[in-house]
Amino acid sequence: MATTALTPAASAYRSGLYEWITTTDHKKIGILYLVNSFIFFFLGGILALLVRTELAQPGIQFLADEHVYNQLFTMHGTVMIFLFIIPMLVGFGNYVVPLQIGAPDMAFPRINALSFWMLPLGGILLFLGFVTGGAASAGWTSYAPLSEDRALASTGPGQDLWIMGLTLIGTSSILGGINFLVTIFKMRAPGLTMFRLPILVWTVLVTSILQVLATPVLTSALIMLFIDRNYGGGHFFDPQFGGSAILWQNIFWFYSHPAVYIMVLPAMGMISEILPVFSRKPLFGYKAFVFATAGIGALGFSVWAHHMFTTGQVFLPFFSFMTFLIAIPTGVKMFNWVFTLWRGQLTLSTPLLFALGFLSMFLIGGINGAFSAAVPVDFALQDTYWVVSHLHYVLFGGSVFGVFAGFYYWFPKMTGRMLNEALGKLQFVLVFIGFNLTFFPMHQLGLAGMPRRIADYASDAGWNDLNLAASIGGFMIASSMIPFLWNVLISLRGGEIAGDDPWQANTLEWATSSPPPPYNFDRLPEIRSERPLFDLRHGRTRAITATSDSGPAPEPTH
Amino acid sequence: MSSSPGTRPSFGSILAGIVALLAVVGLLYLLVRYGPEIVRSFFPPDPVTSQGRHINDLYTIVFVIAAAIFFLVEGLIVWSVIRYRRRPGDTELPPQTHGHNLAEIIWTVIPTIIVIFLFFISWQTLNTVEATTPQPDLRVKAVAGQFQWTFDYLPADGGADTKPLFSVTAPVGKDGGLVLPAGKTTHLYLSSLDVIHAFYVPHFLFKRDVVPGIVNQFDLTIDADQAGQTFRGQCAELCGVGHRIMVFEVHAMAPGAFQTWYDGKLAAASATPTPVPSGGGGGPVVDLTAKNVKFDKPELDAPADAPFTIHFDNQDQGTPHDVDILDGSGAKVFDGQDFPGPGVRDYGVSPLPAGSYKFECSIHPTFMFGTLKVQ
Repeated sequence: MATTALTPAASAYRSGLYEWITTTDHKKIGILYLVNSFIFFFLGGILALLVRTELAQPGIQFLADEHVYNQLFTMHGTVMIFLFIIPMLVGFGNYVVPLQIGAPDMAFPRINALSFWMLPLGGILLFLGFVTGGAASAGWTSYAPLSEDRALASTGPGQDLWIMGLTLIGTSSILGGINFLVTIFKMRAPGLTMFRLPILVWTVLVTSILQVLATPVLTSALIMLFIDRNYGGGHFFDPQFGGSAILWQNIFWFYSHPAVYIMVLPAMGMISEILPVFSRKPLFGYKAFVFATAGIGALGFSVWAHHMFTTGQVFLPFFSFMTFLIAIPTGVKMFNWVFTLWRGQLTLSTPLLFALGFLSMFLIGGINGAFSAAVPVDFALQDTYWVVSHLHYVLFGGSVFGVFAGFYYWFPKMTGRMLNEALGKLQFVLVFIGFNLTFFPMHQLGLAGMPRRIADYASDAGWNDLNLAASIGGFMIASSMIPFLWNVLISLRGGEIAGDDPWQANTLEWATSSPPPPYNFDRLPEIRSERPLFDLRHGRTRAITATSDSGPAPEPTH
Repeated sequence: MSSSPGTRPSFGSILAGIVALLAVVGLLYLLVRYGPEIVRSFFPPDPVTSQGRHINDLYTIVFVIAAAIFFLVEGLIVWSVIRYRRRPGDTELPPQTHGHNLAEIIWTVIPTIIVIFLFFISWQTLNTVEATTPQPDLRVKAVAGQFQWTFDYLPADGGADTKPLFSVTAPVGKDGGLVLPAGKTTHLYLSSLDVIHAFYVPHFLFKRDVVPGIVNQFDLTIDADQAGQTFRGQCAELCGVGHRIMVFEVHAMAPGAFQTWYDGKLAAASATPTPVPSGGGGGPVVDLTAKNVKFDKPELDAPADAPFTIHFDNQDQGTPHDVDILDGSGAKVFDGQDFPGPGVRDYGVSPLPAGSYKFECSIHPTFMFGTLKVQ
């Protein structure tokens, strides 16, 4: 319970490199997650810039040949999904969730450290492919039988390293999921009932369930692919030897579609913390939001085959219907967010700007989903740049904007210092415009028939201008990282002192110092709603009580 | 945009404002200058098949609903940001609305009705698009392999496994491609030699994966008024290093012209195959290598009026290549037999008069070609 083990051992909080390597403190591990994820974000971004440079004009001008090109986009997708977005959100969860539920740490601190350290190791394995004769090059989806043997995909051991790296990263994800579930179910502060949990905690809870249920399925697929490649001669996925090419897709997407929600639900949770704070209102429809989150998680397991509509091997009406259904809880969330802003008092600080970026861009990504759910329309759009656009509006327009919103919001808690507002706004403007310049034209490219994953296109196909625009946008996104990094650098050294609660926020992490001490709290405010600090600030609860087990408090009156 | 009143705007916020302003001006300029083209670009190419027209109709319905929802919600967001900003005098809290059950019901029920409607019309369209006639006018099997397409024309009562009447091995060009009669229904079978490919023609608004071990099939009816048109197609599923070169063309012909073409192909296939010209042989040897679906040389030299040999090394695993020589008029003066790599073959070429010729791989003519100088 939160009330036990509050006395830190004297040696448990040393600083220095040794401390960072051996730490089991959820806050330090959370920061390690963030730093590690940003490093891979920049690496994945460089890969994307190389791709966009090649595609800026028709012809192969920049890269040696398709061998290299196929490795670039394969690694870009893999790195951004498995080493940036997923671990980045886990990092925020790691830092924020124990604080928000008033706990001293995660339930299993050492497993927490283990989960983290598997990530850089997995990342190194993935990148080792570049120096051992070619990284994986069968796309991040690694469709069999292309991924089955070297002659077909024309790569070196990179594909095997890819399998090993992802197996490690997947194991990290499973362990992390279990850790979050136990932490959230068992370590909440007294009075913090399930329906008083901050929405971020709810989204991490649902995400963790998805991770625990879906990731082992991916791991099984990876192991089968490894056996096929190295020992078994294709009995699983290569039709030449009695395997089934479609089987890989079914297993892969059974994980990788829920993975989309693993990548977007916590970001939704983060902006659900930010929107109420910066509009000075509670989240509109808290319970509806919780049910919508759970609904998305549950439906997420029954839509995987919508990635396979053109294979001719799917019972189309069922998966079409389930895919359409997901629009309903997503729409509920969208309206709840909008009506949180409605009649509020908005302060357009950088966290809110990024959260508004999330709302308006994820809206486009979400609406695009209806096109893919309409099976015959998907016949036209599948595997074209339209899909590239759609997935980036969800994962960049949604998740990445959410990540930056969260970063600006919790940076003061993590470091005790504020980030610079002007530089934050400059970054937002650059990334918002660059993002749309890059990815909006891809809708039109896809409609016009440009397939994804091609290194070159005919100069008379009519795709030149839009590709050039997308490439310029890509470099604009890259340029937005300059004010960002500069901002972090100068703010760490000389940023404005944040204080405990710079945003007049609602949740428990703002009730402790910035940065919080080891084991987080010595005392907690009384918890009677999902906004304990708001209640405290406006005199609805007693000032501070000792964290004794006072039993469930009565339901709040609004 | 400054959030903390009293501080003077810094370099960063001024720059942010300038960039945002430039973006808005640029967008307005594009909308005014290219308005009609931009509107057009939100829609797929004009459909040229009856199946594609149904898909296009469905797209339009989905697009209109999507656009309406987009403008509604985006409008609410923008309105909230403009209207509900915190003002200096705002010390009192705004009304603390926790939710509204009726509102939640409304924005659950209305979207439910919309998506069920969309599901039913797409299901209907799906049934139309997927419908196949038992008696198609033509049966063709498209065979995909790394990295080429071959089109096998099958007997009227045949199936995917039937021996083809004749095959078109070049995927593009006036002698190649998928030639189909306009206004008639073709039943297509898709078959893969190695990995997964996808048969995709943007103007058909349609694609279907070509999966090894499975034969996918569908009907295709090109509109009668499209006779004489050529449509580009391309592999749409990553299939390896040569993915981008797996292009093909679909030639729509008027039924009469198609019949003439078809009969000609049929006659050619049933005639005794002309032996590969090997009359020349010997003479000087010219080396040529194919790798990654490219020739290693853009130019070859050969003696005039004397036989010579092309020593051709195909290094592409599993991919067939050949060497053909074309004269200035485009007529084939030498036709090399294609073979899959890795492998080496010596083509003996009969004497050619002096001049400039084109050499190409007949399977990948758009990517593998060069100049042969005979002097």
